Amino acid sequence: MTNAESVPELGWTNVDPEMSARPQQFYPMMRDMGVVEAEEMMLITRHEDVVWALRHPDLFSSGSDAIDIGNIRPLIPLQIDPPDHVKFRRLLDPLFAPREMEKLEADVRALVVELIDEFAEAGECEFNGAVAIPLPCTVFLRLLGLPLADLDLFLRFKDEIIRPVAATPAEGRAMARKTGAEIYAYFETVIAERRRKPQDDMLSGFLSAEIDGEVLTTEDIMDIAYLFLLAGLDTVTASLGCAVAYLAAHPERQQALRDEPSLIPAAIEELLRWETPVPGVVRVATQDVEVAGSMIPAGATVTCLLASANTDGAEFADPESVDFARAANRHLAFGAGVHRCLGSHLARLEMRVALEELHARVPQYEVEAGKTPIYTMGIRGVEYLPLVWSVS
Amino acid sequence: MRVSVDAALCTGHGRCYALAPQLFAPDDFGHCALVVGDGVVPNGLEEQARVGRDNCPEHAITISD
Ligand code: HEM
Ligand code: SF4
Repeated sequence: MTNAESVPELGWTNVDPEMSARPQQFYPMMRDMGVVEAEEMMLITRHEDVVWALRHPDLFSSGSDAIDIGNIRPLIPLQIDPPDHVKFRRLLDPLFAPREMEKLEADVRALVVELIDEFAEAGECEFNGAVAIPLPCTVFLRLLGLPLADLDLFLRFKDEIIRPVAATPAEGRAMARKTGAEIYAYFETVIAERRRKPQDDMLSGFLSAEIDGEVLTTEDIMDIAYLFLLAGLDTVTASLGCAVAYLAAHPERQQALRDEPSLIPAAIEELLRWETPVPGVVRVATQDVEVAGSMIPAGATVTCLLASANTDGAEFADPESVDFARAANRHLAFGAGVHRCLGSHLARLEMRVALEELHARVPQYEVEAGKTPIYTMGIRGVEYLPLVWSVS
Repeated sequence: MRVSVDAALCTGHGRCYALAPQLFAPDDFGHCALVVGDGVVPNGLEEQARVGRDNCPEHAITISD
């Protein structure tokens, strides 16, 4: 199935491992500058400014100029600005609301237990291949009503777009475009099948969904499904990988969660703050706008650096310490403003259940001696996470 | 003590109702609805009101006395 043995080749998205292992060390300097100009891109770095920018979609547009992930039409709802954006969210929010997610918990738990039981007795696992990769992908396939046999296909789809193994950015974009065409074709076929024969799944539900009295088109549904695939798999894999890598390196923290599982939700929020697996979100300035004393010109590509905002001492007490009992935690790991992560409640559910069952079933684990987790840039995850523990 | 949620600011992070479920609850969209409709914080739940406010990334929750 997934490659547990080999360390993937480093592509152009990878930089100095020192830097990607601890990006947090660079943010204080960047926050001092307020807005940082870097290679055709301006970075907003302070918590207050990031929240402000994300709350002003009129000034900072999410339109499709902002990012290119192999798509040929704006992704819904990520690349739709107000006023249309809210219409899609009114439709989608109830499907991902906490109450709906609660209904998935038993299924998610059964899946996690099944995955963990595969290796619990072995005394070792490669956590990504064993749990962090298959978990969100399987949940996604079930939610959309797609065959589980398509798991590897979906993993290839999202990997080729998010982590292309390419020599240059241009080559990477060309690869993404090619894979994007495959994704559209896949969903077009499935949507046609559901039109002929609806099932009890989310895709079938979209067929009769209406906005302003008009039903969603096949294109609309494709543009939603495409985004789900790119937004909902890698992010959870990365977040779980970061969390478990942290816990493997901090045995006393790990034991605290094993002794007291009710700490897990707060630990997840704090690890999301500290690791910020989606480090930045991209916007385009619609007009000249001043932020932190810098002029951002109309048309500039702007990254709101969530990761830097999340360690801003102006917002967080003692920001460099990872504190599972942090009293005030307004972290922005799921973004802010109207585009706040649609899947945040699903992501939290998957992470919570995974950490609960892992710590209930596996004793003190650590990273295999001699191996160092390699963190990726772009989406922050660990490429390869070999864990070991003793078995009685 | 009174607590209020600005619906125009709330985007449904859900931090408030996860941490302080006796005061805040999710509506069908995952946005925040007050458990106590009139916003008067019942005795003993003052800390929950503060926890909700201090963890809302959108600064949608305000407290007055
Ligand atoms: C821990 C895991 C996750 C993290 C850290 C994460 C992070 C984010 C962030 C930062 C945004 C804001 C993007 C922006 O403002 O431009 C976002 C948006 C989004 N996320 Fe997630 N996400 C996660 C899991 C998921 C899952 C499981 C789904 C499942 C469908 C999902 C679906 C979406 C969608 C559809 C949007 C676009 C929302 C909009 O534009 O209105 N995410 N996510
Ligand atoms: S934490 Fe804030 S944004 Fe989130 S649901 Fe509560 S009030 Fe709304």
